[in-house]
Amino acid sequence: MTTSDASVEDLRLLLAQKQLPSGGWAALSSSSQPALEPTALTCIALGPEFQRAHDRATQFLLGIQNSNGSWPVFLGDSPEGSWVTSLACIALHDKIEAIPEQLKGLRWLMDFAGAETHWLWKWKFRTTDRHVRFDPDKFGWPWVPHTNSWVVPTAFAILALNQRCACGPDAGSSRVELGIAMLLDRACPGGGWNAGNGVVYDVALAPHPDDTAIALLAFARRRHEPTVEMSVDWLERVAPTLAAPWSLAWSILALAAHDRPVEFLVNSLSSFPGLKQIEDNSTLAAMCLALDYQRALDAFGVTA
Amino acid sequence: MRINRRDLLIGAAAVAPGASVSLAFLAPRYHEVRRPPRSRVAVLHVENYSQRIAEILLAGLQLFPLNVAGKSLLLKPNLVDYLAGSAINTNPLLVAAAAECFRRLGAKQVIVAEGPGHQRDTELVLSESGYGPILRESGIRFMDLNRDELIQVDLRANYSGLKRLWLPKTVVEADFLVSMPKVKTHHWSGVTLSMKNMFGIVPGSRYGWPKNILHWNGIQQSILDVCATVPINFVIADAIMAMEGNGPLNGTPRPLGRIVLADDPVAADATCARLMGLEPDGIVHIREASKFLGNSSSTLVDFVGEAVRSPAEPFRVVPEFEFLRQRARA
Repeated sequence: MTTSDASVEDLRLLLAQKQLPSGGWAALSSSSQPALEPTALTCIALGPEFQRAHDRATQFLLGIQNSNGSWPVFLGDSPEGSWVTSLACIALHDKIEAIPEQLKGLRWLMDFAGAETHWLWKWKFRTTDRHVRFDPDKFGWPWVPHTNSWVVPTAFAILALNQRCACGPDAGSSRVELGIAMLLDRACPGGGWNAGNGVVYDVALAPHPDDTAIALLAFARRRHEPTVEMSVDWLERVAPTLAAPWSLAWSILALAAHDRPVEFLVNSLSSFPGLKQIEDNSTLAAMCLALDYQRALDAFGVTA
Repeated sequence: MRINRRDLLIGAAAVAPGASVSLAFLAPRYHEVRRPPRSRVAVLHVENYSQRIAEILLAGLQLFPLNVAGKSLLLKPNLVDYLAGSAINTNPLLVAAAAECFRRLGAKQVIVAEGPGHQRDTELVLSESGYGPILRESGIRFMDLNRDELIQVDLRANYSGLKRLWLPKTVVEADFLVSMPKVKTHHWSGVTLSMKNMFGIVPGSRYGWPKNILHWNGIQQSILDVCATVPINFVIADAIMAMEGNGPLNGTPRPLGRIVLADDPVAADATCARLMGLEPDGIVHIREASKFLGNSSSTLVDFVGEAVRSPAEPFRVVPEFEFLRQRARA
């Protein structure tokens, strides 16, 4: 057993202990409000070794799905739906009993698009509002309805739809293609991604490691795009300098998905000081995923 | 192509953004008037970020009849993202100094809370911006407002049309909120000061990064709705090293050597605008907020620190806000 093996088991146990009576996990350990992102990530991270926690989490996810097929950001949220629907679909991917709910979620995702798709907004972004450089014909997914497409929700939606498309020809592939085009359009000029504004007022904005890493997971099947190669190179340079476990964890996953060496990064992540004091459950889950990255890449449908 | 009523409404907003902005301000859309009869502002001269800040700040705070004894205080800095060599964020030394001062003034609890608007990895921003080590050394608790427990709150004004927002429990339950903006120009709203700083309380976990829903519903309108709903009790604005030009991220650092304290966010923001050489009433949210949230007119403000002097060369702004420089000069 290596150091990282020991750490990942410790962290999984720690996460399992933080499960709320509802079966979900809160964003922060100090909270009792179950939220979708930490629950879905933990569900993926725990794996079958924690069968009971896993089953309760599955029941929680199935129980809070909105009637339109989407998932709310947290228990009690409005029923309109949000970006976490992609994460819920990924977390439920290998659950036979959840196939109807997953399909309903994916159908909702197919209809969920950035508000820039409306022809009047497209016209506005082409004529009077051109300070943010982007092509409104290339759209993806927003965080919440009635807003623009952004990088992270688009990347997760592509991962979720790819899992379904992998089972055979599917209408989802055209949305995936559009989403891929949108991500390429929104990349930072020197490689990498931030939230989704590559150039504003003719100034190139800086990329963020976590946004870049999550976008790169969506490009695991298209490694030879020049923008993708440049972004992988950027992330590989930045990852060893990262002083925050969330960004480092996603960087490990992305670099592993693109066949770059990550063992030294894994060692660095597992030796981060104060791991057990981390309050943010999504970060703990992302760390578990990174420390056992091969399994995580399988779960995301992104096998290196 | 069939055009329905919704398309027409969207079209009106899309085709004529100026007109749609103006229409929103024709009639009062606030629930109550909280504007005090008079406001108090202190401009303090501080050349740089040093250990002496706490001493200067405490002397400045004592110019106000503040009653924070036994209260739970929330310091809300402007912590957006990190770029080496930039002046994006409220300096952490000033934030730590404020925490120390409020503790000395008897606050029961002081926490620093923020929900960064651009960078999703709050821990990374804290680490790179220098906040992490300074807060740890000072024993100050930080709350990530992007991930706090959420409570649905009805908005106390209706400029944006949002009607209600999910807001962090820590913010809703604080006894006393201190907005601590970095004094900067902003390419969408003209300036970003104590009122615009409140966008940071809107949780990313619910609304995303950036908080795009506030942009789609109108930045100036959303500022007014958020500030009408969550009162700012005090302002400590960091204008020691400010930012001009293409703010809030890619502007140029500009030394001003000032800290602005105020018991009224509108008076604070109007004063900061004057220190930047910009016309405060040309900034939509300051002008509108002066009807119900505070005083922008200097005749309604008691200045208890040094005099407010506009710089010989006003702060550079993007072309859309050039009129703020011209009007101030006039």
